Amino acid sequence: MDELIVQFATEARELVQQATEDLLSLESNPQKRDSLESAFRSIHTLKGSVGLFDFGSMLAVLHQAEDLLSRARADKIVVNGTLIDCLLAVVQWVEDSLPGISQTGRLSEAQEKQAPRLIGILSGEMTDQVDDVIGPGPEQIPGWALSLREQAPASDSEGSLIAIRYEPHPECFFNGDDPLATLTKVPDLRHLNIFLKEPQTSPQNYDPFRCHLLIEALSGGALAEAEAVFRLIPDQVELLALPADDAKLPAVPSGTPSDHSVERQSTTMRVDSARIDKLVEIAGELIVAKNGLVPLAGEAQELGNRRLARRILSSHHEIELLVASLYGAVTQARLIPLEHVFRRFPRLVRETSTRLGKALDLIIEGETVEADREIVENLFEPLLHLVRNSLDHGIEPEAERLQLSKPARGRLRLTARQRGDQIEIEVADDGRGIDPQRVRATAVDRGVISEIQATASSDEAVLQLVFAPGFSTASSISDLSGRGVGLDAVQSSIKKLGGSVELSSAVGSGTSFSLKLPISFSMTQLMIVEVGGERYGIPLSDVVETHRLPASAVQCVRAGQAFVLRNQTVPLLHLRELLQLPSSGSPSGDLKVLIMRTAGGKIGIAVEKIAERSETLTRPLSGLLQGVAGIAGTTLLGDGRVLLVLDMEDLVR
Amino acid sequence: MTVTLDGDVIALSGPCGVEEVETLVNYLENHPSAPVDVGEATSIHTALWQALLVFRPKISGSPSSMALGQVLLGIEAYLRNDKEDA
Repeated sequence: MDELIVQFATEARELVQQATEDLLSLESNPQKRDSLESAFRSIHTLKGSVGLFDFGSMLAVLHQAEDLLSRARADKIVVNGTLIDCLLAVVQWVEDSLPGISQTGRLSEAQEKQAPRLIGILSGEMTDQVDDVIGPGPEQIPGWALSLREQAPASDSEGSLIAIRYEPHPECFFNGDDPLATLTKVPDLRHLNIFLKEPQTSPQNYDPFRCHLLIEALSGGALAEAEAVFRLIPDQVELLALPADDAKLPAVPSGTPSDHSVERQSTTMRVDSARIDKLVEIAGELIVAKNGLVPLAGEAQELGNRRLARRILSSHHEIELLVASLYGAVTQARLIPLEHVFRRFPRLVRETSTRLGKALDLIIEGETVEADREIVENLFEPLLHLVRNSLDHGIEPEAERLQLSKPARGRLRLTARQRGDQIEIEVADDGRGIDPQRVRATAVDRGVISEIQATASSDEAVLQLVFAPGFSTASSISDLSGRGVGLDAVQSSIKKLGGSVELSSAVGSGTSFSLKLPISFSMTQLMIVEVGGERYGIPLSDVVETHRLPASAVQCVRAGQAFVLRNQTVPLLHLRELLQLPSSGSPSGDLKVLIMRTAGGKIGIAVEKIAERSETLTRPLSGLLQGVAGIAGTTLLGDGRVLLVLDMEDLVR
Repeated sequence: MTVTLDGDVIALSGPCGVEEVETLVNYLENHPSAPVDVGEATSIHTALWQALLVFRPKISGSPSSMALGQVLLGIEAYLRNDKEDA
């Protein structure tokens, strides 16, 4: 029984998500037939699954919702904001019920209590609108699309076409839009018409900086591809899938979405993530086992069998390549697109902005960028915090925005892109920005820094203080953020994932948080150092550079030591002392120093020897070692010895 | 400069952004009979295309990319149809 519930919850979550997306897309374009179909399918399937259990009124609620959608499909009722609000409320209610259901197997009482209210609004919605019949069915093809199709060369009308009608906003040039360039990004463009909206436009009465164009086009690509091109400006574009056959039979443009999902089903399969983790682990052990061949070759050489040594080395090389590609493939299996996190935001932002009375556009880009499952799944909380922060503190109320001659609707961008082996996620708003003076004052007020420090620090540096524990600039505690959980929580959770957060802000024009995270954190580049005859690994990402320092360059500063590097005084610490190893007498000759970046600035760490670099799989400590400070994990060396990987930040503290 | 007056030909070359539209309009106003050569342009902003629709100069040069070619076809079709109507 339990297993069934688990399966139900997983599936229900996906269906809820799908329904939400469809409803939101319907909201922005009520004529979008495939969204309506897809929303209906999701609710229908959800109802079917719920029917297998006894979840009280949930079945009745979903039944009502399904009924409404099926009436909308039959054009008996109009798709409008009220209808969508009702349906979204149902979907939200189902989603909220899921945690309780997974835990107890039943619909909680609190949730059950809301059911009558939902049924009430759903049925009210119906009776109000039954008579509101729409004239022409949405699947009827409008004249412009038909004439566009006639203009296209005859041979091109094979296969289905997408008709595009794009009326750029008159002020779009100021937003940096280039409508024709955007349009030419639509794949397989077959035909293009460009019109001046007012054909009488003469050189005298025309404003070169306003767009007076109407653009129509035909594309042989998929509807989804065209939608992707215009995803930022759906309100300026009409997209229509023209049926493949003669227009006399105005068939529902069904093709694209359902075909698509069938295709997807057949190429993906669900695998328990534990199995993939097991594969990653085995691949990691293979790397270690493979490294054991190198000493073996050395041994063969010593025994005088050079041919055997060479053969071992060459097979080592071969295995190395194979293992690397195996490792790459299994880590790739753990990658999931950021969409999993990003797609939860549109509804959230919509709700929050309604509640706060701030009109707002959420722009999401780069949701297809992929990263390790664990990283993606842990991103929701910090991103949620940043988004709420922007909504709450960043974006001004409409009246204030108008006064500042900003567009009435606020703009929040959530963008992701891949940079090498990192992903960069930006949460940027066009709100009021953060005033460094205010941050300075608050920081001093709350004792985060002293007054002298505050005046000495640059604005840039001062801004970063908002990440300090216990810091919050909100003067009143609001419903959303400012409940004691500050940006420091964001920073620490991003850090745990091996990433970093940066903040930039300009007063009056907005704030932007930029998160940098590794795509996958199972493979680490290590620098191996020696001290007291022992070898330790240090993550290469922490090391800025290595430096050879004459002993005479070390200066004593009170109890500590420091040296000057490019006109900067850098504190010097000895790894031997940090690890509390017995001293080997005074060091002679040059010191080998790693320059490392820490929260407090650059520091130098003196080691006895810098050995090779190595790419390994670092495992978190388990068992007894777990609590040991200053150790990030362990990794196996080729000869089977264990290498301790140091957490320098922790060690220095 | 990406919009230049070369003899009595207005030439667009390289990336022609929206900021060039004033220069272009200026030339078009002062040299109504000058043809516009788009052959050297690598990209042309919509605002510039729009100016060509309004001033309807003769357009010459073969476009350097598929995208430019597609737009040019659309522009020429509009200018041609309009003439027939008139």
